[in-house]
Amino acid sequence: MILSGGKEATGQTSPAAILEAITVTMQFEVNGVKKKVLDDINFTVQQGEFTCIVGQSGCGKTTLLNILAGFIIPTSGLVRVQGRPIRKPGPDRCVVFQDDTLFPWLTVHENIAFGLKGGEGNKRQIEEDVNRFLFFVGLLDYRNYLPRDLSGGMKQRVELARVLVLKPLILLMDEPFASLDYRTRWEMQDLLISLGHELSQTIIFVTHDVDEAITIADKIEIMAINPGTITEELHITQERPRKVNQTECAFYRDRIYRALWN
Amino acid sequence: MMKKTGGNKNVSHTILPWIIPSAFFGAWFIVSSTGILPTYLLPEPVTVIGTANTYVFAEPGSAPYAGRFLQDATTSLVRVFFGFSIAVAAGLPLGILSGRVAAINRLFGSFINGLRAIPGITWLPIAMIWLGIGMKTTVFLVALAAFFPIYLNAAAGARQINPLILRAGAMMGVGRIRGSYAVLLPGAMPHIMTGLRLGLGIAWAYLVLGELTGVPDGLGAVIMDARMIGRIDMIIVGMILIAIVGKVSDALLVTFLRISFKSARRMQ
Repeated sequence: MILSGGKEATGQTSPAAILEAITVTMQFEVNGVKKKVLDDINFTVQQGEFTCIVGQSGCGKTTLLNILAGFIIPTSGLVRVQGRPIRKPGPDRCVVFQDDTLFPWLTVHENIAFGLKGGEGNKRQIEEDVNRFLFFVGLLDYRNYLPRDLSGGMKQRVELARVLVLKPLILLMDEPFASLDYRTRWEMQDLLISLGHELSQTIIFVTHDVDEAITIADKIEIMAINPGTITEELHITQERPRKVNQTECAFYRDRIYRALWN
Repeated sequence: MMKKTGGNKNVSHTILPWIIPSAFFGAWFIVSSTGILPTYLLPEPVTVIGTANTYVFAEPGSAPYAGRFLQDATTSLVRVFFGFSIAVAAGLPLGILSGRVAAINRLFGSFINGLRAIPGITWLPIAMIWLGIGMKTTVFLVALAAFFPIYLNAAAGARQINPLILRAGAMMGVGRIRGSYAVLLPGAMPHIMTGLRLGLGIAWAYLVLGELTGVPDGLGAVIMDARMIGRIDMIIVGMILIAIVGKVSDALLVTFLRISFKSARRMQ
């Protein structure tokens, strides 16, 4: 069991870092009052690493993820992916949202093929890729269904397949399983861990659920509230599959709760 | 018990829609055949059917209005088609832009809403002076009237798109151009469809207005012509035929949209 606490020094880069957030600060103006939502966020993510950002509701997790995705530009600081600063959204950083964002006018199959159609690659190649990922998420039999005919868990599987098929450098996930029932959520976590491992996918996963983070993450960034900032980094070295009632997990949970509530 | 409820429901489903129309035609028949209303105010159903038959199927020239339907309907359809096309070409892009771009909305919004406050019928005199009687005035009125519902609904549709869907598109690498037709247009399609159907409906109303002013042919012109010589049976035939042609054109529009766009097919 190895623990490395504290945050990394500002701007420090390691050679394998695929993503670096450097002194990211975000200020919003609400009714003429400036509010600092994110303050001096620094962290790096290595290739193939599964990072969880944990914090309570309202700490700015989603804002941070939107910055990483390129949907919003930080007030100061920057995020670099493979050394290049992020300016706009793109298929190298795909997002799975908490809410259903499938295109309701496209079938499961067409939704997954959507991102591939803009780029190069012929019809047969696209067809093969889509089928492979339909198989990965276990929805081959549902390829011609419309999103409205799918359950919440199935929709999230399609969301996952639709971005994984684009082979993004980094997969960003914003509380993707928060609205699923306990059992479905558990299945989705398993699916995500095995797919992530198989594709050696770099994943940044935002959640408020400490147990979820401990179950799935290689590394946890703990976020404090008011203003949102990363107070601690925790590497989880526990073997998978993990059960939240294991002693080691209890140790991590204790540590995270203390960081969150102190 | 369950079965009985189901059975009742089926009966009510098939019978209920026909009760009011049957009663209406029954009342018409009784009122006109018993002489409660004189036939020069309300002709008997049989007379109207006969007139419709002559107007649609008889040899042209064999009787007044005989066999003119095809020519009148074609003339009217062409006027509606041109007017409606102009309304779509202007209203759809402008509406979608207004829904997405705040500056465009501010630029055009107040002007268009100001224009909308002018009752459509009041454009008739000035249109007659500018454009004369006939095709041009009718097309102008149709285009003007159909523009507003198309514009307003396209704007509402574009404005109300789930922003997360647009983000999802951007995140999958969709640029401005592909985003417009692959995400924005289908996302706004239910509203766009409503606007087009409302626009086409109102196009038929304004067609009649345009044709009431002394043009020789067209379905509206026939009604006005029949009024002047007191052929009330022909007026009723004209009204019914405009309703039918309008309904058919609406069905054709919906079919066309459903064939052309997945979103129109799948998001009802």
